[in-house]
Amino acid sequence: MTVASIGGQALKRLFRRGLESLSHDIELINRHNVFPVPDGDTGINMFHTLNRAYQEIEELETDDISVIAQRFAHGALMGARGNSGTILSQLLKGFADGLGESPILTASLLKSSCGAAVTQGYASVSQPTEGTILTVAREASESLSLRQAENASPRMMLTSLIRAAQASLENTPNLLPALKDAGVVDAGGMGLVSFLRGMPGGRARRRTNLPETGSSIPAAAEGAESFGYDVQFLMVGEGLDVARTRRELEALGWSVIVVGDQETIKVHIHADNPAIPLDYAVKTGAALDDVVVENMELQHRRQLSIDLNRQAQIDAVSSKVAVIAVAEGDGLHAVFRGLNCSILISGGAGRNPSTEDFINAIKRLASSCAIILPNDRNIVLAAQQAADLLADRQVEVIATETVLQGIGAMLAFGDATDSGAELEAVLERMSAASADIRSIEITQALRDSKFRDLSINQGDYIAIVDGMICAASTDTETAVLDAFSNFDIEDVELVTVYYGAGVSAVESEQLIRRIRTAVKGLECESIYGGQPLYPFLISVE
Amino acid sequence: MTSSRIHIAADSVCDLPAHIVESLKVHIIPTYVNIGGESIPDDGRSLDRERFFRELPGMRSLPTTAAPSPGDAETFYRTILDNGATRIISIHVPEKLSGTLNAMRLGAEAVGADRITLVDSLQLTFGIGYQVWAAAELAADGAELAAILDAIERVRQRTRVYAIIDTMEYLRRSGRVNALVASVGGLLKIKPIVDVSDGEVTSIARLRTWSRAEQRLQSLTQDQSPLERLAVLHVSNRAGAEKFLDSIRDIAPSDTLVIETTPTLGTHIGPGSIGVATLSRDWRR
Repeated sequence: MTVASIGGQALKRLFRRGLESLSHDIELINRHNVFPVPDGDTGINMFHTLNRAYQEIEELETDDISVIAQRFAHGALMGARGNSGTILSQLLKGFADGLGESPILTASLLKSSCGAAVTQGYASVSQPTEGTILTVAREASESLSLRQAENASPRMMLTSLIRAAQASLENTPNLLPALKDAGVVDAGGMGLVSFLRGMPGGRARRRTNLPETGSSIPAAAEGAESFGYDVQFLMVGEGLDVARTRRELEALGWSVIVVGDQETIKVHIHADNPAIPLDYAVKTGAALDDVVVENMELQHRRQLSIDLNRQAQIDAVSSKVAVIAVAEGDGLHAVFRGLNCSILISGGAGRNPSTEDFINAIKRLASSCAIILPNDRNIVLAAQQAADLLADRQVEVIATETVLQGIGAMLAFGDATDSGAELEAVLERMSAASADIRSIEITQALRDSKFRDLSINQGDYIAIVDGMICAASTDTETAVLDAFSNFDIEDVELVTVYYGAGVSAVESEQLIRRIRTAVKGLECESIYGGQPLYPFLISVE
Repeated sequence: MTSSRIHIAADSVCDLPAHIVESLKVHIIPTYVNIGGESIPDDGRSLDRERFFRELPGMRSLPTTAAPSPGDAETFYRTILDNGATRIISIHVPEKLSGTLNAMRLGAEAVGADRITLVDSLQLTFGIGYQVWAAAELAADGAELAAILDAIERVRQRTRVYAIIDTMEYLRRSGRVNALVASVGGLLKIKPIVDVSDGEVTSIARLRTWSRAEQRLQSLTQDQSPLERLAVLHVSNRAGAEKFLDSIRDIAPSDTLVIETTPTLGTHIGPGSIGVATLSRDWRR
């Protein structure tokens, strides 16, 4: 039977199933990072964006499609995290605006609204890049022909939309060389495809396949109704069968990782009901140890805490302009606080704050003007969106791409406010100062990969110089020293090493001694940063 | 004899060297440095400055500084008046930073406040010294009180005092300028440039390296050119001060002084720091 139109509650179900689909693909999408570094968790970012969106409509009983779409888009705008999440929220906003006040969705309205979504999506970034989520959205939208719109049902249109999105996604490596080099498709595009293809429900979902990178990830069990639990445990026993355990667990959940030997097996699985894999494991006769069960949604929400600190004191120093910065690690927080940053939002690589997190932070400020330092390439858009949404306040974003640039900007902030500069001059000086900072970020490769001439093995320490992978080695010191070959040493005066969680002050001093030996006449400083994932963050100026 | 009617007085924080004090015929009351249990007057004789600063980093407890007592002030003024002065203009370290002016006020009241005009220089080191210098020259020429006070004001307007703080440790320990310390920030190694104006010391730039701080100090000094007077100040860093002077030699007047600042200030600023005090030529306009 062909249904000529879709009502609000039907659209709500489509969104719901799309969200469920995405929730099952989080890990897969996360693994599609271009760089083998622990940043840009696109899957989790897009999931949180849509999850927040769905919360807005969950209780709505209206059958008015424009209300459902607008509320969903509003939730997405608030929940937007990461660049892909932010672009997705703009696509949804464009889609909702495209519906106008129509209470029902017809095929022709679906076509025009998708067009509006694409227009808004492209407008949301200053320099749209092809081979990304934008391309997937555009090519999917363009596949909807006028003839089809006159004859087909919205659901049939949706099917061709999904097919075109899938084809577009598979073509992204041909548009973005970085994707081709890394042997992946675009992660944001993949998230959009996952969202769309979940919409029609069970059968269509199984017909489409996402490209795989590493280990295989089975499709979710039919009719899954929740976003799931992250379950981890050790099985201890004798004569355990790793392969069989993996095979049998794969039927009970998704994102299954099973490693070990005959005596110990480590299991990681996402499941709707955490009792099911645990029950299975107990029944094999193995003893369970280190059992961890986490609600995936709540877990992330808890981690994102906003530090309100020293507000009264700060406002005494500078009542006109306040700075909100994103950083992770107690040491880095202390550095920012010491430079009179008003609010710190915990987050960074792999843990991107949402637009709403920024809005909440801004609303807690007494100052009428706020400056946001996102300190991560992948957080800039969500911060910008927060600034745009708060029209009644003056909020400016300085697009700092590393926490080191953020610290450079903070030093200039102090100078500028001391001299009583107006906001515009403050911004100018902070931007200029952050641009003067060059960064070496040391982290571990998440997987084997090739990057230009570099062969990178999983677990290698890689040095990222100003956003580009420049060196890789099995030890941190070699990676750091190799990275220095990218600098004109004559121009370098000061090297500041922020050592991360799990690195000792002694190790940091040792690294500095190696740098000093290799590069004579440098001023060096070692500071505790406490950041996760990056043993060393090094600013070079 | 009109020239002896108005006498100029100041405290030792003005940093004028002995030969200038003598030639200008100004009266200097010493402030005190307390080391251990001892209170030593900063009169240029009792305390060996070089040795003091050499030993400062190793001192277990930081020396403190103290204003003259009201009794000191009373004796000081009485001596000047007994030597033939009909009026004293007394120029001092800012009230916001020191109890000196208050002590001088009490001393003045004891000897007859109507004959003593107290001036808050709102400055430090040669920033006070330039006001004293101009006042003394005018007084020697027989200028009236109002004219001298006007000159002091104009000198103050065209005086700048800047310093590079080599380490924040001493300012932090001294507790005199907590707002400054808070605004510079604690964890990074920062060499702030401080500015003295309106009786307050504030940070105007946070530099991460000495050479960048020196460059900034050069440009700040050059901004004040053409100069009538220049003093390059230091705390236990004569070589650094001489080197800095060389870098701005083209704008430095021929009688530029290189001065080790008083222990009263040096104790708070800490060894290694250098600074400048400028007086622009246009103050006379």
